[in-house]
Amino acid sequence: MKSHKVRVIISVVVILTALLMFFWPSKTASENTGVFKYFSNIKLGLDIKGGSMLEYNMKLDEGTDPNEIIDNVILVLRKRLDAAGYTEAVVSKVVSGNKIRVRVEIPGITDIETAEKLIGSRGKLYFAEVIDVQTSDTKPVIRRNKYVVINGKEEPIYDYVRDLYDETTWYKVQKYFTFGKEPFEFTGTEVVDANADINTRKKGFLVNLKFSSQGSKKFELITGNLVGKRLAIILDNRVIIAPVVNQKITSSSAVIEGIQTIEEARNVAALIKAGNLPVDLVKFQERTTGPTLGRDVVETIVKAGLLGLLVVMVYMIAFYGWMGVVADIALLFNSVLLLGVLAGTHAILTLPGLAGIILTFGTTVDGNVIIYERIKEELRHGRPPLTAVRFGFDKAFWTLFDANLTTVLAGVVLYYFATGTVRGFAITLIIGVLGSMFTNLVVSRAILESTSHLINVKKYQSAAVEEGKR
Amino acid sequence: MIDFVGKRKVFILLSLLLVITGLIFVFTKGFNLGVDFAGGTEFVISSDKEVSINEIRNILSSIKSDYATAKIAKLKNLNVKNSELFQYSVVLKESLSGSTALKEELIKSMKSKFSEKDIKIDFLEFNDVSGYAAEEIKSYAWYAVIISLVLLLAYITLRFKFSFGIGAIIALAHDIIITMGFYSIFGIEINVAAIAAFLTLAGYSLNDTIVVYDKIRENMKKLRGKKSIEEIVNTSINEVIVRSINTSLTTFLVVLPILIWGGRAIAPFAFGLAVGVVVGTYSSLYIASPIVIGWIKKTKVL
Repeated sequence: MKSHKVRVIISVVVILTALLMFFWPSKTASENTGVFKYFSNIKLGLDIKGGSMLEYNMKLDEGTDPNEIIDNVILVLRKRLDAAGYTEAVVSKVVSGNKIRVRVEIPGITDIETAEKLIGSRGKLYFAEVIDVQTSDTKPVIRRNKYVVINGKEEPIYDYVRDLYDETTWYKVQKYFTFGKEPFEFTGTEVVDANADINTRKKGFLVNLKFSSQGSKKFELITGNLVGKRLAIILDNRVIIAPVVNQKITSSSAVIEGIQTIEEARNVAALIKAGNLPVDLVKFQERTTGPTLGRDVVETIVKAGLLGLLVVMVYMIAFYGWMGVVADIALLFNSVLLLGVLAGTHAILTLPGLAGIILTFGTTVDGNVIIYERIKEELRHGRPPLTAVRFGFDKAFWTLFDANLTTVLAGVVLYYFATGTVRGFAITLIIGVLGSMFTNLVVSRAILESTSHLINVKKYQSAAVEEGKR
Repeated sequence: MIDFVGKRKVFILLSLLLVITGLIFVFTKGFNLGVDFAGGTEFVISSDKEVSINEIRNILSSIKSDYATAKIAKLKNLNVKNSELFQYSVVLKESLSGSTALKEELIKSMKSKFSEKDIKIDFLEFNDVSGYAAEEIKSYAWYAVIISLVLLLAYITLRFKFSFGIGAIIALAHDIIITMGFYSIFGIEINVAAIAAFLTLAGYSLNDTIVVYDKIRENMKKLRGKKSIEEIVNTSINEVIVRSINTSLTTFLVVLPILIWGGRAIAPFAFGLAVGVVVGTYSSLYIASPIVIGWIKKTKVL
């Protein structure tokens, strides 16, 4: 009797915890509409909520360790997305075999092109000497270019670069600096920080730049040689700003003066700070779902699933009488448990995940059927209801254990190998199957042991008598 | 009592026939591979007026002649804010290979060419999977299948006996090959969701088989020496048949509405389960257990 009480208490505690996790008020509640209003605590995948997933390969030079670069890439993308207002986006590292990729997930985004342009900006931030400025609708041609050898590759020194804001202004720039022992470039990796401020000495605003120790040595060399000339700061082949060098700078910081508005100063600082993507990104795959499509599909699946569920519930009652009612309670119990766990663990519910939930209905019913068939067998042998229930559960335990563990094994393997939305399926399947074992072995047992007098014993015993006559 | 065991040779023959038919279809007709496995570009557009497939194809081929080979399908209508929208899915064989410019051009020219005909279209979904990504997903699908098989064989061997493990794996292979055959025959798309269906099916098929084996194990202890192995197996199957039918039927009842109304996104998944449940139930009654009889006889002890 003692273990029976324990089962009842555990069942009640578990269901209350699940309900609490499910209904705990959340901040996002007001954002959801339609069927999602009731699921405000559950994190929805991009395929349901609508959104974009973009995955990029890094185009690495041979011998470069991707592990050294990936964190920087993630940081830069994060900053770029934040600056553009996509603060909900998730930027993450994807390890697949010996390859490392970067994945960007932007929920609820409709203007994918803008976001993609932002992420996919392939160029780097670099500083270059301004040789000439021209006005032209098309890119002017460089007649006689010079070449330098950088990192074993021959690169042209001069290039025309367009102004960020003015489409017709072209700067002829020298990308590589040829003073010093060997030619070098000055890229954004040398810039540690950039921020906007008010100019306290003159009118207008300024941008403070801070360089790395190696960067300051290079910068000293550059400014020493270019006093009175213009230095362009270029991002993604657009000139952000091209200030004049006033003096040789020996410290690790510099100031860009002569900016008219605080907005412009902030913008320049943000572009310099966020601009340095150390490597080219090549799109690997892209998945975008509009919010209407996801919602439409989900509503149909939920409706179809509920209809199926209803049919199953009626079927169970018709077939097993009171025990069928208990099976239906178990079914509802397990559904609430699953939703509660999903809400509590912040696992992401995807479309295949919904399918996984529907499948756990099957597992729950299956477990109940296995147990009830055992109980019926015991009843046929003429045992009293309570004893029959107890024996039935004890005997069914290992069958259930073996049968469900194989499903969990398949789920774990799937979770480990799958990516994206299918992972959501593996999660709901694992939670659901474990939940159905708990529901069947603890909850159903607690209910049936308390209500064994409601089982129609005669129905099964008379069948046994008839069998005996034969 | 239904005689499952006595007619086992007939059913094994039937299964062989089904498996061979399945394999023939798989190797000659092949699969309708989704972009997950073949690579390519897939998008869903909605329009405010009904458009014929031909019109869409004409517009596509006027953008780029390669696009003329696209697979186009009309999907069920979408009801948004009381206005009816028509949905079409388009699958292009080639991936846009990561080019943002190509993609933008495609979207812009589609929109402008439709608006020339006074039709407003919207892109509801856009999937672009590069050939490399498809290769990777494909190889992972194989790893997942092989590793789960090894794990399951190990588990069944541990809990039962090696011969039962082999029997279960044969039944499993039987179910999966036949289901794959059905995918091929009906041209159902194989995508990542379909793989999920196969793995679920694997779990279900084993689940079914194990319940029968469990009963055989129990009855062998109880009835050893009193009855022949054929009789023991037959009794065991008869004792669990109600459960097998109930479970399969209820699962089928849940999956069927999803297959019918769930729409294109979930159809490859629901189809696999609906077919798989039927095949899996059949195999656990007629194939999985009868097939191990000869083996048990040889080893005698359990």
